[in-house]
Amino acid sequence: MATSSIAFSEQYNYDVIRKFTIMAMVWAAVGMLVGVYIASELAFPILNFDIPYITFGRLRPVHTGAVIFGFGGSALFATSYYIVQRTCQARLFGGVKAANFTFWGWQSIIVLAALGDVLGYSQGWEYAEMEWPIDLLIAVVWVVYGVIFIGTIMKRKEPHIYVANWFYMAFILATALLHIFHNLVIPVSLTKSYPLFAGVQDAMMQWWYGHNAVGFFLTAAFLGMMYYFVPKQAGRPVYSYRLSVVHFWAISFLYMWAGTHHLHWTAIPDWTSTLAATFSIMLLLPSWGGMINGIMTLSGAWDKLRTDPIMRFLIVALSFYGMSTFEGPMMSLKDVNALSHYTDWTVGHVHSGALGWVAMISFGSLYHMIPRLWNTTVYNEKLINVHFWLATIGILLYIVSMWISGIMQGLMWRAFDDFGNLQYSFAESVAAMHPYYAMRALGGAFFLTGMLVMCYNMTKTIRKSTAVAIGSAAVPA
Amino acid sequence: MEWFMWFTRFENTKPLALLIFFTVFCGILVYLFGSKKRGKRLESYKNMPFLDDDQDNKNRNNKDVQS
Amino acid sequence: MEHDKIERNIGLMLVLTMIAISVGGMVEVLPLFFLKDTVETVKTADGKDMVRPYSPLEQIGRDIYIREGCYLCHSQMIRPFRDEALRYGHYSLAAESKYDHPFQWGSKRTGPDLARVGGKYSNDWQVQHLTAPRSMVPESVMPNYPWLIRNKLDYSDIQDKMRALRTTGVPYSNSQGEYKRNVTQFGEDVAKTLHIPDAEKTLVAQAQLGNYDNNKDDITEMDALVAYLQVLGTMVDFSKFDDDYFAKFR
Repeated sequence: MATSSIAFSEQYNYDVIRKFTIMAMVWAAVGMLVGVYIASELAFPILNFDIPYITFGRLRPVHTGAVIFGFGGSALFATSYYIVQRTCQARLFGGVKAANFTFWGWQSIIVLAALGDVLGYSQGWEYAEMEWPIDLLIAVVWVVYGVIFIGTIMKRKEPHIYVANWFYMAFILATALLHIFHNLVIPVSLTKSYPLFAGVQDAMMQWWYGHNAVGFFLTAAFLGMMYYFVPKQAGRPVYSYRLSVVHFWAISFLYMWAGTHHLHWTAIPDWTSTLAATFSIMLLLPSWGGMINGIMTLSGAWDKLRTDPIMRFLIVALSFYGMSTFEGPMMSLKDVNALSHYTDWTVGHVHSGALGWVAMISFGSLYHMIPRLWNTTVYNEKLINVHFWLATIGILLYIVSMWISGIMQGLMWRAFDDFGNLQYSFAESVAAMHPYYAMRALGGAFFLTGMLVMCYNMTKTIRKSTAVAIGSAAVPA
Repeated sequence: MEWFMWFTRFENTKPLALLIFFTVFCGILVYLFGSKKRGKRLESYKNMPFLDDDQDNKNRNNKDVQS
Repeated sequence: MEHDKIERNIGLMLVLTMIAISVGGMVEVLPLFFLKDTVETVKTADGKDMVRPYSPLEQIGRDIYIREGCYLCHSQMIRPFRDEALRYGHYSLAAESKYDHPFQWGSKRTGPDLARVGGKYSNDWQVQHLTAPRSMVPESVMPNYPWLIRNKLDYSDIQDKMRALRTTGVPYSNSQGEYKRNVTQFGEDVAKTLHIPDAEKTLVAQAQLGNYDNNKDDITEMDALVAYLQVLGTMVDFSKFDDDYFAKFR
């Protein structure tokens, strides 16, 4: 009769979290597979096979869509529903139907977006290729998500709102703002539209959107994940709650200014990109504050790094977060940017954030969450360790090859001979990239293999739980 | 919109922005870390994720708990 | 007010977060819509705009450029550096993309910048290169696009497209009054190509005259894409300006 003995699976809506968790792993595998394929296309262009639907230009948005919105998005839905219910001690607001609507809505968005990309229906913006009907669907799902999340916070049993929820809340708010204003278009038909803005203004809108998608979708929200799962897995509270207050407000305020550093030296007025560079440098402070806050949570229990592979995922993720948020401000300096922009260095930077930070913190969180969601234990702890090493080797191969190729490209493009002529043709710089493109594809393959190991391990884990459930039903106590 | 032009010159904007943000930043730091009593109160919220720990262990019965 | 208060009041927290995340965007984005200096004035000696909207054929070519995701490997934004000036030409002006919905400045140069590729290569070279890039540039990693020359160009919706662009502010003309305005702004030859009711006629005429794909019988997607590539960066005649003129806008 006592309420405390009611299982979490009944007290909370775990069903929708389980669904999002499974799809996060599915989309990760799909998105990374496409990523490895297009990386291979750049190394070996014959892989385009003269088939329109699988050329680099059409598959690249499939890759970014599947990993950012499919994997990242599903992982965020899952973890936010998990954290908000447990820290508020309240069941999801809006009932089962609303939660399931966000699940089916979000999954159909990813599928429709991928189909549209392959068929060539594109708005022509990076990370926002989906045409306007899909954008409308996103807006609807997002509003329902926001209502569920805020509604759950409003019916919480605890007076205080835990810091992880602040970050998720900022992420939901900012994503709505960015998505709506960036996707203002005039439709021609169901599959074609033109943006309201052109040239300079459109460029500004695009990178205001593009950079803050990184800032809020891929950073703030995953910091929410960090603020819950790192303390939980370490079994000790976060290092400093006051530091997290500074962290939250500084990230929310500063990130939105930094987008124009993607447009250094372009036809955008200089003052905007200078302002963006200044704020990018300032962003280093809260970013590192957050990283220190996460890592120091483990202070006094460092031995966990040796014994607990999940902890290792979380802490290495934070290290990569620290590295990327140092590299980013550095690349936003105009002189560095003059060399790095348009090269593979940018691609490497994105992936040290996306693979090192976003994916690793998600893996750690999912490994922590899955046994609790299915009320079981991990099928094979050693395989988590195998995954960790495959992922780490993959990331290192990836970013090292992109550093070399990026800096080499930048230097070759600006090299002059003794007579003041350009030393290299563009084609020569392309040829020089070949070994690094192959190495990058190999790094991606390592990371993908690790992901497949996780899928296998977690499938077995979930199977084990359902087998137990069926077994105990057959033999009533 | 003429007055807006003043903000487009960074010899004006930069020191102004720096001044405003630095003051606000310092203000926040002083507020958060200046008072021991307030600090203690603010830090007390960090145990929230562990409120459900007993229950978690009970629900998971004798099964091996991660971490 | 103590911070605890915000931490216990979701409404207050929402409002404050909204303010925090809005400031940056407003300060950086909004002025670009008002400041006159953001986009340069680029006129001929007799006062006509040098930068014009794309002709119907070029605009459809641009749509194909976007469909194939060319912007993921090619930029259209030359920066003001000595090496880029030698390799690509004069640095790009804001005015040169003022009719670009969406902008295609790009973020990556897996292939070279295309902002001034217009007129650099012959139509024949472009057709052969798009069909089989490695037959012209052995080091290239670009996919082959053999379907461009096979696919007949679908221009049934060109008027709808131009009307949509007109709604965004591109000066395509839908009436005699607007046509006359375009004659004043761009000259008669250009104004004719911007008239929406004549769009199909204009498109066919340009494809026939330009004969971009070296095949007079059909109008193919290749015609449109090459027509677009050949106009890139050619609208502004830099010989008519002092070097200092554009510097003051940056």
